Amino acid sequence: MSVFALPNVRLLGVATAVPARRAPIEPSQMVGPDDLNKIIAATGVKSRHVAASEVCASDLCAGAARRLMEKLGWEASSVDLILFVSQTPDFVMPATACSLHGRLGLAKSCGAFDINLGCSGYVYGLSIAGMHIHSRAARRVLLLVGDTISKVASDRDRSVAFLFGDAGSATALDFSAAETPIHFVTGSDGAGARHLQIPAGMFRTPSTEQTRAQQSRESGNLRSDEQLYMNGPEIFNFTIREVPPLVNTLLNASGWGVNDIDYVVMHQANRFMLDYLVKRMKLPADKVIMALEEYGNTSSASIPLAICNSLSARLARAPARILLVGFGVGFSWGAAAIDLKSLQVEPVFEM
Amino acid sequence: MTKREFLLHLDELLELEAGTIKGDELLASWPKWDSLAIIAFIALIDQHFGASVPAIKIMNCRTPNDLAMLVAERLQN
Repeated sequence: MSVFALPNVRLLGVATAVPARRAPIEPSQMVGPDDLNKIIAATGVKSRHVAASEVCASDLCAGAARRLMEKLGWEASSVDLILFVSQTPDFVMPATACSLHGRLGLAKSCGAFDINLGCSGYVYGLSIAGMHIHSRAARRVLLLVGDTISKVASDRDRSVAFLFGDAGSATALDFSAAETPIHFVTGSDGAGARHLQIPAGMFRTPSTEQTRAQQSRESGNLRSDEQLYMNGPEIFNFTIREVPPLVNTLLNASGWGVNDIDYVVMHQANRFMLDYLVKRMKLPADKVIMALEEYGNTSSASIPLAICNSLSARLARAPARILLVGFGVGFSWGAAAIDLKSLQVEPVFEM
Repeated sequence: MTKREFLLHLDELLELEAGTIKGDELLASWPKWDSLAIIAFIALIDQHFGASVPAIKIMNCRTPNDLAMLVAERLQN
């Protein structure tokens, strides 16, 4: 794993937007009430916010960015870099960060690029934003992280149909000479790529009538090759193999003990997985943030969404030491230990 | 953990009366043996044995005896 620290990087604020449309988890022809209750108990998800067909992750991120910039008093012309982390961009090309740059009216001197990551993407995004600030390549960075995974999940595939929601976030970072270094740990295992993927529809396996057709799969699930395939058991194996050492490595690097941490915000994968990780790592459950019930698993946006949902009042009021832990699609993982003085956190809002 | 205790854990996991599973039943005959149960089984062997088994090996097991074979070295006689 890669272990590093970035001084002079300050998190100033976070905002997260979700689509106004709510999708409760309800029995259907595919799943009766008993089975559904079992699924809800395992996932912890009772409803989600899902984007209408014309709403993209970039729209939610742009809304979050506008709100955050207004709250912070950031002029568009003052932003030096915009990053967009997502697996559901607007187009194959150009980079969605470039179109967001235009929509937000940022300066021509401002850099813009996309990062294709999901569950670990927020932590990677923070680290890349931080590297630009630490190297003085940028003084102010807008990190936009979001996904609309509900659009690629088959509603006739039990492994994904009741889990994913949509959200878009914005995080503001800038240079501060007085800041405690942020410690990061990152890693990847590409051998796991096939366990969580959309197999077709791009250049490796281009879209055809056949790849677009839903087919019967394991356990009677129906999905096309252009929809999300998730091997839940293999992902669980990966998670319990990699996440405990990830957190231990981060604690060693930062010099923190479990008692020094105020909050742990993990990727909101599902309730069973988070509960098991808490037990396995002997983390104090009351410090671990859960935000699955109303929003589901929102992929790359789940960490900022959980912060906005649960910590908006607390982080504005007093300093806090937080651990952020992302893990999943790739397989890819990353964690950050951040000593926050205060953070402008907007409560989650609907668009 | 003995094999009998292992089978009792499987009873609990599949929400069956304690002592229901003898070992040679077909897992496919229990509707509750689904991907959620397989994940719970992975947690079970991680928690009790510190063992990790590829999910495909678990999915390929036909009976509880096959599942026990995955952790045979760690079961007490």
